[in-house]
Amino acid sequence: MRKNMTPFYLMVIPAFLLFFFFHTLPMLMGVFYSFTNWNGLSPSYKMVGFKNFLNVFQDPQVYSAYGFTFKFAILTTVIVNIISLAVAVGLNSRIKLKNTLRAVYFLPNILSMLIIGFIFNYFFSNILPDVMSKAGMSGLAFNILGSENTAWIGIVIVTVWQATAFNIILYLAGLQTIPADLYEASSLDGASKWKEFWHITFPMIAPFFTINMVLALKNFLMVFDQIVAMTGGGPAKSTTSISYLIFTDGFQGGSFSYQSANSVIYFIVIVVISMIQLKILQKREMSLS
Amino acid sequence: MVKGLKVGAAVLIALSLLSGCGSNDSSGGSGDSAGSGKVELQFLQYKPEARDTFDKLIAKFEQANPNIHVIQDNPPDASTALMTKAASGQLPDVIANGGDNVHASLVQSGVLADLSSDPNLQKVSDVYVKILHDISGSDKTYGIPYGVNANGVIYNKALFKEMNLTIPQTWDEFIALCKKIQDAGKLPFYFSFKDAWTSQPAFNALAASTQGNDFYKRHSEGKTTYTSEYKEAADKLLQLVTFGQKDSFGKGYNDANVAFAKGESVMYAQGVWAIAEIKKANPSIELGIFPYPATNDPSKNKLISGVDQLLSISANTEHPNEAKKFVEFLLDPANAKEYVKGVNTFSAVKGVTQDDPSVSDLAPYFDKGQIADFVDHYTPSNMKLDQLLQELIMKKDVAGFLKNMDDEWSKAESRK
Amino acid sequence: MSMKRTNWPVTILLVIGSLIVLFPLYMTLMIAVKSPQEMADAVLAWPKEWHWSNFKEAVDMTNFSHAFQNSSIITVFAVIFTLLTNSLVSYAVARNMDKRLFKMLYFYFVSALFVPFPIIMLPLVKEVSKLGMNNQTGLIVLYVVYGIAFNLFLYVGYLRSIPAELEEAAVMDGASVWGTFWKVIFPLLSPINATVAILTCIWAWNDFLLPLIILSKPSMATLPLAQYIFQSKFGVQYNYAFASYLMALLPMIIVYLVAQRWIISGVVRGAVKS
Repeated sequence: MRKNMTPFYLMVIPAFLLFFFFHTLPMLMGVFYSFTNWNGLSPSYKMVGFKNFLNVFQDPQVYSAYGFTFKFAILTTVIVNIISLAVAVGLNSRIKLKNTLRAVYFLPNILSMLIIGFIFNYFFSNILPDVMSKAGMSGLAFNILGSENTAWIGIVIVTVWQATAFNIILYLAGLQTIPADLYEASSLDGASKWKEFWHITFPMIAPFFTINMVLALKNFLMVFDQIVAMTGGGPAKSTTSISYLIFTDGFQGGSFSYQSANSVIYFIVIVVISMIQLKILQKREMSLS
Repeated sequence: MVKGLKVGAAVLIALSLLSGCGSNDSSGGSGDSAGSGKVELQFLQYKPEARDTFDKLIAKFEQANPNIHVIQDNPPDASTALMTKAASGQLPDVIANGGDNVHASLVQSGVLADLSSDPNLQKVSDVYVKILHDISGSDKTYGIPYGVNANGVIYNKALFKEMNLTIPQTWDEFIALCKKIQDAGKLPFYFSFKDAWTSQPAFNALAASTQGNDFYKRHSEGKTTYTSEYKEAADKLLQLVTFGQKDSFGKGYNDANVAFAKGESVMYAQGVWAIAEIKKANPSIELGIFPYPATNDPSKNKLISGVDQLLSISANTEHPNEAKKFVEFLLDPANAKEYVKGVNTFSAVKGVTQDDPSVSDLAPYFDKGQIADFVDHYTPSNMKLDQLLQELIMKKDVAGFLKNMDDEWSKAESRK
Repeated sequence: MSMKRTNWPVTILLVIGSLIVLFPLYMTLMIAVKSPQEMADAVLAWPKEWHWSNFKEAVDMTNFSHAFQNSSIITVFAVIFTLLTNSLVSYAVARNMDKRLFKMLYFYFVSALFVPFPIIMLPLVKEVSKLGMNNQTGLIVLYVVYGIAFNLFLYVGYLRSIPAELEEAAVMDGASVWGTFWKVIFPLLSPINATVAILTCIWAWNDFLLPLIILSKPSMATLPLAQYIFQSKFGVQYNYAFASYLMALLPMIIVYLVAQRWIISGVVRGAVKS
């Protein structure tokens, strides 16, 4: 039977047009501007070819933003996944207060990152140094957001606090798809809990691991709200992420086309990384199951 | 099928109407669509310290002009907000920002109304109009100077008296003073470098008094570099920060205002704008402010004073007359007086003085014209001078800092 | 068997962990209800006196009721229109994945997930303000349109699990494609609709960057944006600041407490089906 395709086209065409107009078109314009010297304001601009791109490659500020962003994103992805997997396994075992605990662990996911950032900002600036000095650890009694070497740790902590929630729930969902008889078989074999985890649990939730890793890394590479709320990119650019650099520098006079070039490069980088990650993790998934 | 689409379209329209209504309701009938013929003026100003004062002035203005409603917008990171709005063609009708590089970008992009022939210009001091020309690199006037500020060393008068200290006239005296305070077991300075910009006031003063004559002009012509003229300022800044508290990068501007107000430090490297904030935290504090004695020659030590707040009008405003009316209202001497009183800065309006005793030490410099503008008004904002200074203070690498300054400058130039 | 016994060590560890999760909220509450004096004595101690007036002050300072109203309108409409439109688009795509055009469309939408927002930011602002959509309506449209990228992914995954026989039967009975969708498929989608609704709600309610650049007047501000705009107003009045943080977080927390199980299972479903 041949389907009448007209209604299907009518369903998707408006969506396609709107999406093109509000997403693809601005993106193409952004790419176009990256080849100009437009400052975002002037009535006129001229084409400058690849000059902006060449400048981006020579800009230590851009390199340091990539450095911070990747250090942050990779580390946070790893920490978030380790913690959330551990908590999910815990929540899936025979415990009391299961539902309450699950509810508490998911709570941060529904809260605004910006406001959480403001709250943690106060915590790092005022509470933590106080606690440390009272505990006799005066060496640690400083605001970690105020030091070039430690400010990024503050950003990691607040992000882990918030982002773990979502991944816990995903892993928990994965764990619940594992049939109980698999474990019964292994416990008859006398396998240790650790072995059981690596041989049964982990392969079974590998697809969840894949999706968590990819989504988490992608989200963390876009880190923005936390930085606005806590450090403003400082001290001395040490927590300036790529998104934050593009936003502030692109809008604050003179650098719009330049930062457009930066964001085009960033786009390519993100696509490449996601592709590689998917390939590697899917291969792993195959070999595990 | 077509019917389905039509229904969809109808629903979309209904949505936009509904949410449109919702927004009007939620803004408390402030929309000019309310049908009362009220004109709504968007007024963006960039000084958090001035928010309350402007609220009062606006209330007064609206009382006299019941058909105009002024909406004050005071976003944090106002320069980004302003540039975003300018870029999207939705510049507020009246803008009160600083005489700095943001003003320069706006002028160069042609989004501000030309006020060169505006009669209100007669009301303000020519010196500051000239400064704005220098900053914007244009012979025309696109902003009327309004508030004028100065930075300096704020000091706790009670502690000065108690410790028998006098205001230093030279750099050596200044350093000796700091050592004396330190030896007495007190803290000379309380810094707040977590907020990057707070590293700038001191540097502005040190650099403006130590750089060569006509530095900006020679610099923009490519005849000199930061490396050759800013070393002294960088060295002196590093010397100064050794007199701060231990966790100076852990504290922000607000924290430092409170700490100084409570007497935790004897001096405070800020500007006159901080005085009102300090007094909020401790209304009974007795304080004064003196210019940075940046060199050992008192005649070379300039007071750093720039246009802190200027008034401009969008070139594309739909309400030019109302906007002008509001600007004229603000420039009225009585209102200008109320403004400088509330914000504790000085006025560009002729005949309007700042009578607060805390700033009386600065008056002779204004009288003699021994004034220089803020250095950071001449550095492009994408140089991020504030963060470079943070890095200097943290790493104490003067040569590296100067090289970064030069590199960032040429980068900013090359993007033009 | 040992499997049936409660695992106490794990329970205790998880309880300790949950305290870490709750601590920042506890701290927020404690600061929000204290006077500056009492806070100086002990920030984290249980308050001797509850200063509810902090909340009143915070409401006045941040124009809370406007921001609350704005956030509510935007979130509610974004959710409703996302459900109605995105499900329809996904249905068309899912049922025609064998056709090249629709397959391409699927990848077209989903690949948008990889576009960093900054690249479209400024052109978007220009476009939106030229259309006069720099207001709540524009923001709603953007949430609905941008939502497609991820929601399509969810819906298509779910739709594939619905056997095609159901619709074929409906078509046999003479129902149109539209009729089939609204009468047969849409009701079947309710679980995944719930998921999309929850995710959209969390996104629209908490989003900061899009309102920051799209909404042109302070009177339009959503709750996070209002927190940002009025941040400078608090100065060192931390008690007012925290009272207002708490109020901005509270609506979502209350909704969560009421519908917690439902929300979590919704999110889980999204994960499993995709």
